[in-house]
Amino acid sequence: MEILSSLGDGFAVALTWQNLALALLGCLLGTIMGALPGLGPSNGVAILIPLAFTLGLGATPSLILLTSVYYGAMYGGRISSILLNIPGDEPAMMTCLDGYPMAQQGRAGEALALSGVASFVGAFFATWGLVLLAPQLVKVALLFGPAEYFALFTLAFATLGGVASSNQAKSAFAAALGLGLAMIGVDQQTGVPRFTFGEVHLYDGIDFLVAIVGLFALSEVFVFLEHRETDPSKATEGKMTIGRIYPTWSMLKSCIPTMGRTTVLGFIAGVLPGAGASLGSFISYSVEKRLVDKEGTFGKGDPRGVAAPETGNNAAAGGALVPMLALGVPGSGTTAVLLAVLLALNITPGPLLFQNNPDVVWGLIAALFIGNVMLLALNIPMVGLFTRVLLVPPRILMPVVAMISFVGIYGISGSSFDLMVMVGFGVLGWVLRKLDVPLVPIILGVLLGNEMESNLRRALSISNGDWFALVDSWLSLTLWAIAIVGFVLPIFLGHAVRRKMKSEQEEMIGD
Amino acid sequence: MSDRILGVIGLSLALFFAVSAALIQESFMTDAIGPKAFPYIISAVVALASLVFLFSPDPEPAWPAFNRLAEIGFAVAVSFLYAWVLPELGFLISTSLAAGYLSWRLGTAPLPAVAVGVGTSVGIYVVFRLILGLSLAEGPFGF
Amino acid sequence: MIRTTILATTLVLATGPLIAQGFTPEQPECIAPANPGGGWDFTCRQVGKTLQDLDLIPGTMQVVNMAGGSGGVAFAEVVNKRHDENDLIVAASSATSTRLAQGAFPGNTMADVRWLASVGADYGVIAVAADSEIETLPELMDMIKNDPTSIAIGGGSAVGGWDHLKVLIAAKEAGVEEVRRVKYIAFEGGGEAVTQLLAGSLQAFTGDLSEATGFMESGDIRVLALLAPERLEGEFADLPTAKEQGIDAVGANWRGFYVPGGMSDEAYDYWVGALDTLYQSDEWKTVMENNGLAPLDLQGEEFQSFVQESVAEIEELSREIGIIQ
Repeated sequence: MEILSSLGDGFAVALTWQNLALALLGCLLGTIMGALPGLGPSNGVAILIPLAFTLGLGATPSLILLTSVYYGAMYGGRISSILLNIPGDEPAMMTCLDGYPMAQQGRAGEALALSGVASFVGAFFATWGLVLLAPQLVKVALLFGPAEYFALFTLAFATLGGVASSNQAKSAFAAALGLGLAMIGVDQQTGVPRFTFGEVHLYDGIDFLVAIVGLFALSEVFVFLEHRETDPSKATEGKMTIGRIYPTWSMLKSCIPTMGRTTVLGFIAGVLPGAGASLGSFISYSVEKRLVDKEGTFGKGDPRGVAAPETGNNAAAGGALVPMLALGVPGSGTTAVLLAVLLALNITPGPLLFQNNPDVVWGLIAALFIGNVMLLALNIPMVGLFTRVLLVPPRILMPVVAMISFVGIYGISGSSFDLMVMVGFGVLGWVLRKLDVPLVPIILGVLLGNEMESNLRRALSISNGDWFALVDSWLSLTLWAIAIVGFVLPIFLGHAVRRKMKSEQEEMIGD
Repeated sequence: MSDRILGVIGLSLALFFAVSAALIQESFMTDAIGPKAFPYIISAVVALASLVFLFSPDPEPAWPAFNRLAEIGFAVAVSFLYAWVLPELGFLISTSLAAGYLSWRLGTAPLPAVAVGVGTSVGIYVVFRLILGLSLAEGPFGF
Repeated sequence: MIRTTILATTLVLATGPLIAQGFTPEQPECIAPANPGGGWDFTCRQVGKTLQDLDLIPGTMQVVNMAGGSGGVAFAEVVNKRHDENDLIVAASSATSTRLAQGAFPGNTMADVRWLASVGADYGVIAVAADSEIETLPELMDMIKNDPTSIAIGGGSAVGGWDHLKVLIAAKEAGVEEVRRVKYIAFEGGGEAVTQLLAGSLQAFTGDLSEATGFMESGDIRVLALLAPERLEGEFADLPTAKEQGIDAVGANWRGFYVPGGMSDEAYDYWVGALDTLYQSDEWKTVMENNGLAPLDLQGEEFQSFVQESVAEIEELSREIGIIQ
């Protein structure tokens, strides 16, 4: 009850006309930035920090503006994933896998509306999780030592194998490629440069945004160039049908169990510092595929394949606020930026934040609820508008996409070198697509590589070089077991496993 | 065949990565396994996967005809050129040129393609520079 | 050089001088060479905010986080790419001089940049989780003496960095013979290290007082020793020093700034003046008090020679302890 009255106070703080206007502005800008390839939630928030300060906003209004941008970008990323097969930001990558096929089947409107609802569900319940469980959840984060983190990251790669491609070896190859790219730059542990070949631009490593925009957006442009004239299916794409705008109730209903499970999964992934929204959507998608994809429709436009990652990444976005607020440890790139904002406002997140600055915390949480409702209200009616993008012929749309990609990267880093690396990734992406090497594991590798390595090295330093330390707790053993099962079983047992897991799942629901 | 070539490239990549890892200049004091161990693991995974490609390749993908490859090659060249001249010519000019070229090659008639180029360029400038306040490249004319 | 200076001056005069001095930054920027939440980030943000409150800079100070290589990435960026900029200051601390002393910024030395001023000093702490059985610093050191592999100490700097070095100084004073065997685990920031201390992965934490304050007040961690010559005043008066426990180890982490090596003299003088005014202000005294910063008031040439001495000292210490040849 105490919590509810605090939350009530929070709403009292947040519900002023100025704050509502800021939330609306933040949601709109966030959605746009999320949808534009190259600008993601972390850049979006970073770009708007000066705005918050120049407007002379106080702590709570600034946070309301910036968290609305954060949640808005998490919503917006899916739009370009579904319509263009280009993820607007990294957590929306998994939404491409089923969202774009749905759009090709003329179900873009349904996919957008469904994913909007899924985003809402994930974010809404995750915010409740934040309200009710923050103190307990901190304890979950404390169960994860370096060995457990390493096992968790391994699990993400292992289970991703069967998801992104039918060929496990190609998934493994892609993941290793991404991890290898992550190694470029100055070693975080000892400060020595690695794989930089004396090039100063490489000292701070390869930005995953450069990789993601190159691999997805530019390679898409090359694919269009390749198929112009020759391939009738691509040529007619400009006249892609839009179909119905809103999903049927039965489709929504079929996705409810998926949304329920992935809210929990995504939220937990978000709570763990260092994992964040991307891992939330990856794990949500791969687990759902294992559990419910009996007919093998995932990857071919299954609505549940759209609902799972969208619920997962929005739930993770809420979860990531837990360690940021309660421990002062940012769980993702965006929360790192939000943490910086809090510090700039002279608010120190940490174990005492809830006691020392209750108005800020509860105002922030109320703002999350408001932003979330606002985003749903904005997004559903705009589905029709978004789908019009598909009516633009590719010969106009693709140059625009390519240029936006360049601008997104250049506007952040101001570096021609980054643009050239991005073009390199574009070519790589095109070749790898041809060879059926999945691109998603590459990004996952670039995103998680450094954390994965650091945690391996910390675990082994703590254990004095004893590799058995990696399996020394029940939690890490469990994670390893899931990882091994997830990697090995699809190779040997293929279909039979899915059926078995499916029936187990039904028993669980029956309980 | 393509997969076999990928396998060979993958193996050389693994070797190159491992050799570069071995050449990392370690600092005077390091942690238990040092900055080389993880790169070795990665190159082992790349090598293993490449061996799989070599011995059980997937069916051959449909490679495009030579003229299509050349098309992509030109687009890549234009993209590199774009990255090169952007700081010199400024955002609006270089972007108009690059977007116009891509639109033309994707099937727009030359004159409308110029319009697409200029439109794209100005549109992006308005959204990114004037609304979002990002600093885009400034050429000799300040835009 | 002279020509550009004159040009800059006339330009400012022509547009109407904002402040009586010959230089005013257009877009003041501060690089924090670490992720948000650490000491460098704190330095940039607090100084930026106070400078703005005191109207010493026009508008806001833009803070850029550039993590990597314990400051090496930012140092290389400033030396190689932003050598001539006048609007840029970079947060630095003992950690920076430590890395420089050990030659750990490949190809860079302290002479590549200009050293600006200090804004205070932050004493080191060695802490354990609140439920730890270890009560005093000598107890911890005895355990390390008996079995160095039994105690994992985490901190926010890389291996060989300042947080690591502080433990080694204490261990050396406590009579640990082979200090290189002390088990140190590097994290990306003090916050992450404290989290892992609470998670039970580590037995002890080494860091700065400002990093430990939040968790100390909440009762999650217990400070075994403050590495200061004597007890602090005020809020932190009940923290025992290492010295009073018989281990004569002092680790003061100065906080300050360097600027690009090619910065004009006008700009350099402007920044020195701004930070001098800042240091003397009541606002800054409050910031120092709230964050347990001890006084250290050095600007310009004085600071330059201070850093030089500090680098030489750490070099000697590192050699003595045996972590560089």
